Amino acid sequence: MNEFVEECRREWRRLGVPDPIANEMAADLTADIEEAEAEGGSAEDVLGSSAFDPRRFAASWAVARGVTGPLAPDRMRRQWPVLAISVTVFATLTAMAAVALAVGRHSAAVAAPVRRILAGPRLPQLFGPGPVAPPFRYFVPGPPFALRDIGGFDILALILLLVAVVGLGIAILYWSPWCRRRLQPTDRMTGRSRYPEGSRR
Amino acid sequence: MQYKLVRSILWCMGNGEGRRSQLLRGVLDLCLLAVMGEGPAYGYEMTKRLRARGLSIVGEGSIYPLLGRLERDGLVETRRSASNGGPPRKYYSLSPKGEKSLEAGVMEWQAARDAVDGALDLVKVEVTP
Repeated sequence: MNEFVEECRREWRRLGVPDPIANEMAADLTADIEEAEAEGGSAEDVLGSSAFDPRRFAASWAVARGVTGPLAPDRMRRQWPVLAISVTVFATLTAMAAVALAVGRHSAAVAAPVRRILAGPRLPQLFGPGPVAPPFRYFVPGPPFALRDIGGFDILALILLLVAVVGLGIAILYWSPWCRRRLQPTDRMTGRSRYPEGSRR
Repeated sequence: MQYKLVRSILWCMGNGEGRRSQLLRGVLDLCLLAVMGEGPAYGYEMTKRLRARGLSIVGEGSIYPLLGRLERDGLVETRRSASNGGPPRKYYSLSPKGEKSLEAGVMEWQAARDAVDGALDLVKVEVTP
């Protein structure tokens, strides 16, 4: 087969042109070039200036016929859905935590772990027993959850809520039709979306 | 199509080089439809018909992508049949939609050509024999 046609076939394979269509185009091209050469001409008589750029010629022909296959999306675009799902899950969990904190701040089940978080990490004792702190040293007898604790709870709940709102905002923006249109892959040759208007991936 | 033609003409006005090439590119689809009107033809056969009418595609790029677009737009019909002793070829012929498009395109071309002639007639060019 002609070297020009071979180069075209490689380009069609790269662009995902189905084999039967690529075979048909290659056969037509081969027959035309052979006819021109039999008449004493060359591939240039058939192809004009395109004879010097087989890859561009092959791509423009495939695009004109609308037979390019789905191209592999670039790495960044492939990672968008994973990132969006992660943000959505994280934001939902954070929102749930903020609500649980706000609603259950008077319950011991919520208060104990939160107190531990607010107290910060305890370093392990490396040399000797030393003084052992009580497990909940901030607990005082009397009414277990005094008003002075509410400030820390509220701040934590507020921070979690803000993080959740930002995360959910980003997630809603990503899943909105406007954003999906912008982020979906486009055809490299035409610049048009590879998905018909109104269709979903 | 008219927009494409006008754009080609405007581009050519600003670029001395390749004016003929650009003009031809703007109407090559019409020319292909016109030579198909003579009868079904395969790719290279159309190139030869165009050349016989004084239009060489050398330097203008290939007609294949254009034929692909005409086929995709439903302006031509195709069938595969054996050529004279050669391998089976894809023959292109005008579809009813293609005939209407050709008529409309010719009218647009004539209108554009008359307008350009009207402007260029002001210029006196000495034609040397």
